[in-house]
Amino acid sequence: MMPTRRHQLVRLDQALLSLLNERARLLGGEAEDDPGRLAAIDDLLRRNTGPFGADALGAVFAAIDAGCAAVSRGADPFRRAP
Amino acid sequence: MILRLRQATPPDRVQALRERLERAGLRTVLSSEPSRPIVAVVDKVDADLARELAADDAVEEIVEPRGDWRQVHRAFRECPSTVQVGDVSVGGGAVVVIAGPCSVEGRELMLEVAQRVKDAGAHILRGGAFKPRTSPYAFQGLGVEGLRQLKDAGEAVGLPVVSEIMDAAEVDAFVDHDIDCLQIGARNMQNFTLLKAVARAGRAVLLKRGLSATIDEWLHAAEYIAAGGCERIILCERGIRTFETATRNTLDLTVLPLLREWTHLPIIVDPAHAAGIARLIPPLSRASVAAGADGIAVEVHPHPELARSDGPQALLPSELAGLVADARIQAAVTGRVFHA
Repeated sequence: MMPTRRHQLVRLDQALLSLLNERARLLGGEAEDDPGRLAAIDDLLRRNTGPFGADALGAVFAAIDAGCAAVSRGADPFRRAP
Repeated sequence: MILRLRQATPPDRVQALRERLERAGLRTVLSSEPSRPIVAVVDKVDADLARELAADDAVEEIVEPRGDWRQVHRAFRECPSTVQVGDVSVGGGAVVVIAGPCSVEGRELMLEVAQRVKDAGAHILRGGAFKPRTSPYAFQGLGVEGLRQLKDAGEAVGLPVVSEIMDAAEVDAFVDHDIDCLQIGARNMQNFTLLKAVARAGRAVLLKRGLSATIDEWLHAAEYIAAGGCERIILCERGIRTFETATRNTLDLTVLPLLREWTHLPIIVDPAHAAGIARLIPPLSRASVAAGADGIAVEVHPHPELARSDGPQALLPSELAGLVADARIQAAVTGRVFHA
């Protein structure tokens, strides 16, 4: 049976989540101190052909960086209120 | 036959069941599985006794293995097993990378490769000291001195080590040099004297698939090691011989999902010996991790053209770093993690 679009989206979300956690795990709780990081992201966004827009992607990467930085500080800035 | 008993079955009840079987002339093995008692009956159970066991309140499930392998059968454990190699756990959902030169060629080079392998993110250092070569005139390895250089390099960079053993008489040398994992090569997969000897070594064992071995024969070889008292067995698919001549062997990734059903042992893949061509190794590694491999074993040399064995299938250290990065991604998207 063909997976539904909803099912495919769930699988993609799971993969994205796993990759984000793997990224944080790779940093091992240390702050990311690569001075070329912003330039590298800018380069990625310039070469992006969509359909995701550069502004939206920039926001996504900013959120990823903030999340990883928070992990290195032992905090979670996006934790939802109980 | 494998008897999976109910979780709350008390030890004296398990013992009584085993004594009943042994009175009938049947040998039994109790699994080290902590969550429930599991008993493998080594010998054939007759129909009357099988009916008696099926009616026993303590028996929750009876599994009939498809071969004579019991202790490596999936039903002999509740979860897939993990094997400790030094401080690295192989299996259990984390992907590991084993890397190093095909042969230990000298102290300085071994140290250099060990450091670069470590820097690239690999977890276990490999290196052959005793080399099974097709030609008797080819480099045969440095022998015991190679073991010493491998272990020293592993200790210098903080990686456990694995090396191939070819002869039962070499077990003491491997133990004396504190080799963390003894590798049984493809050509020796059915060297039963060697399998029994390594089982007694008290080390993890990496069992490569024979170049023309069926999965059933491979698991029987693993059962030899388990029956000899060693639970720390890692299977390694390294390609099988087929009619294809474009590659050294044919990588059989079919085994990965199939062995998940048949055995609890961790399974790693050696794409280098399968392909025999270095540039094919990265995509085959990605495919292996995506198909569920618990790890990848590859050969690395800073100057493959100068390697004393298997140079054409050796990766550069920089290529290993790329392979490790890819393995990290593949592990994540398949719901696993890359070993820390």
